Amino acid sequence: MAERVITMSMTVTAIDFGKTATLLFTEFQWLPADYWDLSIPVYLYFAAVAGGAYLAGVSACVLRSRQLVEAEVLAGEIARWGFMLAVGSAAVAGLAVLSHLAVIYRAILFPVYLTNFSSWITIGTWILVLLAILAVVSLLFQLFGEQAAEESRSSGWPRLLLAKIGVLDWTDRAVDRVRLPAVAMSLLYGVGSLLAVATIYTGFELAVVQTVPLWHQPVLLPVLFLTSGVAAGVGLTVAMTMLFERRFAPVFGGYAVAVGLLSLTSFGVAVYGWHRIATTDAPAAAASHAHLSSGTLYFGVLLVALGFLAAAISGLAFGVTALFNQLPDRVERIGGPVLIGSFSLLAVGGLVLRLLLLLAAEQNPVVVAL
Amino acid sequence: MSEQWMFYFDPNRCIGCHACSISCKQRHDRDADADDWRTVTHLKSGEYPDVEEIPLSMSCMHCHDAPCETVCPPNAIEKREEDGIVTVDRDLCIGCHYCAWACPYGAPTYGDDGLMSKCNMCLGEGPGSGHGKPPKEKPEDGGTKPSCVDNCVGEAIKAGPQSEVMDEASEAAAERFNNGVHKSRVVVEPVEEDEAAAETIRDQDDSQSAEWLNG
Repeated sequence: MAERVITMSMTVTAIDFGKTATLLFTEFQWLPADYWDLSIPVYLYFAAVAGGAYLAGVSACVLRSRQLVEAEVLAGEIARWGFMLAVGSAAVAGLAVLSHLAVIYRAILFPVYLTNFSSWITIGTWILVLLAILAVVSLLFQLFGEQAAEESRSSGWPRLLLAKIGVLDWTDRAVDRVRLPAVAMSLLYGVGSLLAVATIYTGFELAVVQTVPLWHQPVLLPVLFLTSGVAAGVGLTVAMTMLFERRFAPVFGGYAVAVGLLSLTSFGVAVYGWHRIATTDAPAAAASHAHLSSGTLYFGVLLVALGFLAAAISGLAFGVTALFNQLPDRVERIGGPVLIGSFSLLAVGGLVLRLLLLLAAEQNPVVVAL
Repeated sequence: MSEQWMFYFDPNRCIGCHACSISCKQRHDRDADADDWRTVTHLKSGEYPDVEEIPLSMSCMHCHDAPCETVCPPNAIEKREEDGIVTVDRDLCIGCHYCAWACPYGAPTYGDDGLMSKCNMCLGEGPGSGHGKPPKEKPEDGGTKPSCVDNCVGEAIKAGPQSEVMDEASEAAAERFNNGVHKSRVVVEPVEEDEAAAETIRDQDDSQSAEWLNG
């Protein structure tokens, strides 16, 4: 026992204890780290997807304004699907986070109750709600009105619903009556685009938590959440449009390249983050890395990586080909299905990424060194 | 801010009886199966027969930098100016659990209503009872001694204004605190017995070593 005491006093390292006396007992008091359910990663994911889908919609509106004949029709479809996905994703995000809360009405009345602007939850609530409002307005202007009545195709399915209940004509006239002038629409799209990029807040919500080394990466995590979320939003928009249009046209080239680049960036950031977690000394980081390196979570890691890589390779390959109008018939035939498949895998991977970050999270243990 | 109140813990006096944890629940009329505001953990190291065990009593440390206050969206959590005690206003809490992730000690707990509650140094009785209470006063000035302090069998837990807690602490504990151990949120005494044994062994006093080993 004497030998063990000497051994302990010689080998125990001073963790954050500076110039203190000999340390003879060091143990870790681990914390539960189980305070959030899966609704939170769903919220974090779909908020960023809403941003990406909105950006896809806005860029399509810009393309239409150039009045390129062939692109105009498809751009209209991309715009409508983009804004529709933005509205849907924002709604899913909102419902997901509300389902987690204990007192929902206080969150719904957020201008009254959420007053701490040092908290990313407060900041994020404003961003998501304002983005959702602008997405709804943008969608209404794209979906209804005289021009939309003439050109809407598969994305115009909400028009069929309103037609069934007999209010479609009224809605078209009402929207045209309140339609904003071009300058105001540009301002709306500009503000909406800024809010879409501001969905990077979803990454900051985790990155500011100092007790969880897996999350506390103040640059990497927000960038990863933004790039992966926007890539998923744009990718899903393009995938939906190609699915219903049943063709792969040059107008999709730029979007495919964008998704490819964002996916490649996401993959690089994720790999670097993995390396940092794997090489840090913090016990909680080592525990998180161990969780992610085995069992079901490791399968999830592979799925995320596959999603990023598949979208990057296919997006860049087909996208560049389409942009330079170098689409052989065979490529044009398979381009659509390949991109739809890879972008769908990317979207699934983005959600799985956030789930993994929650499931593998460990808080720094209380170091008991006496 | 007036002087910060803080906790002091002496593991040499703690016998791991859990009186602090149970008396806390009784004072605040909480169910026996509710999460503890003050936890007692028995930390073990080594293997049989050479096992060392230290009981650790831990609660909200009312941190000077209160990370829970920073992240709370509705400003339900407040680090009071008058005594530094961190309280929660359950009429504002939305139950998002963000504070639990931010807390380095796992102090926030959530009941069936989903709202946060935690140690408030017995400013009041019951969850959220500390919010809006007058400044904490010492028992001799008519204040209430925290239940864990009052009921600790070995007087291992103390609480009070920082200057008074530091006066009661040993030189080693004060040095650790001033060096930023536990980020200067709580004063913890070093384990005395092991230091004495190590010193004895270093002095190579065989008779004393034998007495320690056999005793």
